[in-house]
Amino acid sequence: MTGMDAILNGGLQGYLVVALLLFAIGLATVLLRRTLLMQFMGVELMLNAANVALLAFARFRGGDAQATVFYLFIIAVAACEAAIGLALVIGLYRHRGTTDSDRAAGLKQ
Amino acid sequence: MFITFAFVTLLGALGMLLQKNVIVAGLCMVATFFGVAGLFLLLANPVAAALQIIVYSGAIMVLVLFVIMMLNSHEEEAAQTARPVQRWVSVALVAALAFGAVKLVLTSAGLKALAVSGEPMPGAMTLQKVGTTLFAEHLLGFEVAGILLLAAMVGAVALTKRNL
Repeated sequence: MTGMDAILNGGLQGYLVVALLLFAIGLATVLLRRTLLMQFMGVELMLNAANVALLAFARFRGGDAQATVFYLFIIAVAACEAAIGLALVIGLYRHRGTTDSDRAAGLKQ
Repeated sequence: MFITFAFVTLLGALGMLLQKNVIVAGLCMVATFFGVAGLFLLLANPVAAALQIIVYSGAIMVLVLFVIMMLNSHEEEAAQTARPVQRWVSVALVAALAFGAVKLVLTSAGLKALAVSGEPMPGAMTLQKVGTTLFAEHLLGFEVAGILLLAAMVGAVALTKRNL
């Protein structure tokens, strides 16, 4: 199952194309939206795209359990990133009263 | 089946990118996570699908929506300075990256060989297999992940508390 057939019916290339498009949309969110919370969600989207690619490769290499273990580590790091990132957004909001990344471009108060 | 979940995933992500209201964007993101969980199911990996729903759709999105509602920043603030050039450059960059990468995937001979050789469906991933691999081969990594989560928890409390 290769080429267009793989994209429509779930061959390896189909999963990789979905992962790539998901990554591109996440990157576009980070670049185009100004709200820090939206940019944060874009980062989560990119992490998810990486997970899709990882588990797709794992399935087409015979269903190795190592990939699922690494997926576990990735979501542990993603959870840490979520907690710290949101704490930083709350801290910024307390100091400046905004969640707009353009308004938080300078280090000076 | 695959095309359905792929559509749910990508439409949710697009909805998130284009949605003005941050809360609705967050709910679109939940749809994306469910779509990704469905893709994991089709990849014979129900363990990852369950983890995806519990951790992402459950924990992380609740955290994000909680912060959105707490900060009362439902709408994007008006732009301080319009930056049309930067926006168009970033759109062009992302489009070029996506197009190039998709073209690379579709023409790669190595991926084609892997797709053909990996065609037979492997047995579904079980929690037992994951647990055995995790504790037999990655015990140190598991402990480090635990310490990292603890450090993140303490850090989040320290960052948000007004006066410790």
